[in-house]
Amino acid sequence: MGVMKRFTTVLAAVSLVFAGAACGGDDEAESGPVTLRYSWWGNADRAALVQKAIDLFQTKNPNIKVTPSFQEFEAYWQKMATDTAGGNAPDVLQMDFAYLREYAERGVLYDLKKQEGENLNTGDLLEGLKGAGEVDGGLYAVPVAGNTWGYVYSPAAYSKAGVPEPKLGWTWNDYRAAMEKITKSTGGKMYGGGNYIGTYYNLEVQLRQEGKLLYTEDGKLGFDKPRLAKFFNEGKQLADAKIVLPVEKGVQIKPKFALEMDLIAGDLGWDNFMTRYAAATKTELKLGPVPSDNPAQLGQYLKPSMLMSVSAKSKHPEESAKLIDFFINDPGAGEILGANRGIPATNGQRAAVKLEGPFAAVAAYEESIKTQLEKAPPAPPKGAGTIEQAFIRISEELQYGRISVDQAVDQFFTEANETLES
Amino acid sequence: MKLSTVAWHAGVLAVLAIVLYPIVWVVAATFKPSADIIGSLSLLPSAPTTANYERAVEGIASISIGRFFWNSTILAVLSVVGTVASSALAGYAFARLRFRGRGAMFALMISTLLLPFHVLIIPQYAVFQRLGLIDTYVPLLIGKFLAAEAFFVFLMVQFMRTIPQELDESAKMDGAGHWGIFWHIILPLARPALITTAIFTFIWSWNDFFGPLVYLSTPDKYPLPLALQLFVDEASGSDFGALMAMSMLALVPVILFFLFFQRFLVEGVSTSGLKG
Amino acid sequence: MATVAPTRRAEAPGQPAGPRTRVRRSGDGVAGYLFLSPWILGILLLTIGPMLTSLYLSFTDYSLFTAPEWVGLDNYKRMFEDARWLKSVQVTTIYVAVAVPVKLAAALAVALLLNNKRKGQGFYRAAFYGPSLIGASVSLAIVWKALFTDDAVVDRALRVVGIHTGGWAGNPDFSLLMLVLLGAWQLGAPMVIFLAGLKQVPVELHEAAHVDGAGRWRRFRSITLPMISPVVFFNLLLETINSFQVFTSAYIVGGPNGSPAGTTLFYTIYLYDRGFSDFRMGYASAMAWMLLLGVGLITLFLFRTARGWVYYSGDKR
Repeated sequence: MGVMKRFTTVLAAVSLVFAGAACGGDDEAESGPVTLRYSWWGNADRAALVQKAIDLFQTKNPNIKVTPSFQEFEAYWQKMATDTAGGNAPDVLQMDFAYLREYAERGVLYDLKKQEGENLNTGDLLEGLKGAGEVDGGLYAVPVAGNTWGYVYSPAAYSKAGVPEPKLGWTWNDYRAAMEKITKSTGGKMYGGGNYIGTYYNLEVQLRQEGKLLYTEDGKLGFDKPRLAKFFNEGKQLADAKIVLPVEKGVQIKPKFALEMDLIAGDLGWDNFMTRYAAATKTELKLGPVPSDNPAQLGQYLKPSMLMSVSAKSKHPEESAKLIDFFINDPGAGEILGANRGIPATNGQRAAVKLEGPFAAVAAYEESIKTQLEKAPPAPPKGAGTIEQAFIRISEELQYGRISVDQAVDQFFTEANETLES
Repeated sequence: MKLSTVAWHAGVLAVLAIVLYPIVWVVAATFKPSADIIGSLSLLPSAPTTANYERAVEGIASISIGRFFWNSTILAVLSVVGTVASSALAGYAFARLRFRGRGAMFALMISTLLLPFHVLIIPQYAVFQRLGLIDTYVPLLIGKFLAAEAFFVFLMVQFMRTIPQELDESAKMDGAGHWGIFWHIILPLARPALITTAIFTFIWSWNDFFGPLVYLSTPDKYPLPLALQLFVDEASGSDFGALMAMSMLALVPVILFFLFFQRFLVEGVSTSGLKG
Repeated sequence: MATVAPTRRAEAPGQPAGPRTRVRRSGDGVAGYLFLSPWILGILLLTIGPMLTSLYLSFTDYSLFTAPEWVGLDNYKRMFEDARWLKSVQVTTIYVAVAVPVKLAAALAVALLLNNKRKGQGFYRAAFYGPSLIGASVSLAIVWKALFTDDAVVDRALRVVGIHTGGWAGNPDFSLLMLVLLGAWQLGAPMVIFLAGLKQVPVELHEAAHVDGAGRWRRFRSITLPMISPVVFFNLLLETINSFQVFTSAYIVGGPNGSPAGTTLFYTIYLYDRGFSDFRMGYASAMAWMLLLGVGLITLFLFRTARGWVYYSGDKR
């Protein structure tokens, strides 16, 4: 039939355009300065600092011109997905640990092993971060900053309630008891903390303290249903006893955090969020250790909070590697960027950066547990971001009392396994 | 003043007070210290400050705020020109002319409204990438000149169909061609629709985030909504004060545009001496 | 063509097809395509291709970065076993059923209120349009939540009349209603379209009816409503289509998870999440075509019923 024939012709034309898009890109002239497209996420403050660092890079490398492109985190990933699918990924891109495997395994990223030792020196990276950008033996990203799990709290709230401040060796029972005491002593005006089952990484920390992993080496869930049920039950009890901040209060104040509004006495989270909280509240905040039932094992590791990758399609991998090298090793770059992107990932830059206030507190905290920090686990499996979102959502429904613990556990396992299998 | 007029004003103002309360809240919030914006229950700032506006107009990475305004203006104005012209032409054809395939094409046009744009964006991107038009304004504008926004074509059709057919026929008797009818009869009578289209196009273009995000890479070319988003940062804390101050500044041109053009909505068919 | 036409006419004797209209038809033909040429060009270049591509992708497993793999009807089948998809259909349908009538009624009411020649008209019109000028940025989410938290203005106002709901922003039972109100608050677009339609109602008709002793309601029912019926239809259709595709406002308020507790998981939010966060563009495309099918049927239904209540003065009735 005529219509059908026309339809298939159009379809063929379309898929041609579509397939061709993946190998697009004009060839640049060989001579003359090389232009690198560099994309990153961040805000206006970071934009100013990165531009300054790029200027410095360009004076040091007059043959390389860098054109930056920046968006806010969520928008950045949306754009990155479109650019990459359309065959137009930038030369150098900022990478998140959660997305690393997703991008690396699909052949989007360049293996930087080929540049190591020539244009890229990774030898000065902190011990815990070495190899953090590796996926299946290839080096697909280099960390520029790291963070770890911690407990941010208000010492004043603790002393007011007559609870001793947390110190190394405190257990999850101690933590729950402290929250209960604080909540009771204020009559519910301030809660002892947020419900820690709302955050996936609290489960990871508990697992690691037991010598287990969130994801096994072959990319499966590192825990079973009873273990997750135990975790959820802890939170369910805390919520039912009204010891922790009720979930609806937390939802109401989004995009702010409860700590910033003095609604809770402390919370577990990434240590670099300390700087964010400190900027938002007048209450003095401190960083303390994570509770653990196993004194020999804090379950913590230095996680690359931000990495840099090179696109597999880049025509200038050498120059791209040079730019990454500059961002992680150059003391001048370290000085300009300071702790804006987190505490720097190399010893050299950590020494070059003068840290003050909350930034110094974060660095001191990491120093204090340095010997207990383990090497980062392999990059999480494909779909880890989806699984984390599912966890947050299901935990929220549980806290609202819309589903039971058993339903929550089943739902999570169904969704997680479906994601991991596909 | 007549009593009914007073009552009318009182009634409208009462409804308005409710409708505008949230906007008053935003304006008041821009004068609060950034940290106090979320969670404060009082409407008015306790210690008013202009610091939010100062940070908002500072610009981003040595790109001035004026640049973002300029980019937004260029995009919005060209969008208005393209959309009004192309939609009026297409609307006239659908509403007043009879030709083969009209029904099918009309159905096709409506169906383009039904598909969420998120699934179209990647194929569309691939086309523009092949044409080397990424990081230019072309992908953002070309659709406007080619009546790709079915909403407006449909709007024109609905309006033009209400214009009495007798007018065309008498003009035809006088020897006018299709262009003459379109230009001298339909366009003047469809003015409310043209103005409506212009207003919507301007506002939607001005507020569009997704299109510019996907197609533009160079910060120099960003329009305001992209710049606005740069005050948001999960890790180091968002600058809600500057964000809201900038949203308010960004509102000013749209309000002016609206105030200027909505006046033309007032005169309708009844004043142009038309008998139904 | 010309030879076939007479037989056709003979088969359908009821058709009043005189020679005059036939001449006009062919005359309109060329002009029709000329006037439509930008649109035709646009639809060929920008729309048809991507639409067909997404249709093709809906039958594939496509992860954005690797070539699509044909999987037949799998994506479509999977939808009906996907609890979140079913949930999103439910949320969206409820929203459309409530939000569209509320918004249109509010917009028409305001348009009628403002449709006169009194002083201050322009100002009021602009003021009512104001909320719709605010783009869907984080600012909007912040204000909207601020109105609906514990002890904030809505909570307090309701308490005055004896209703104790607490804050709505964190309450799963009220989150959808919050978004319905947000939609109705931004009523500028349908209001302006209603106003433009009302301007085309000849004043003479009202005056004549007034002289005949017709009351306000009577005149509204038998003159205004029929005269603006094309515009009512336009708004109804567009708001229905748009509400099925509601995205930005819901996204900034409820996030990608449809917080709180999945009560704002709209269809397009789930679609977006699948496509751009989970990299399952094949599934997302299938979802899109399912939506097209569903909304398409509703659109068709609306067009059918429109024959009974929409009047065009261009029509010879």
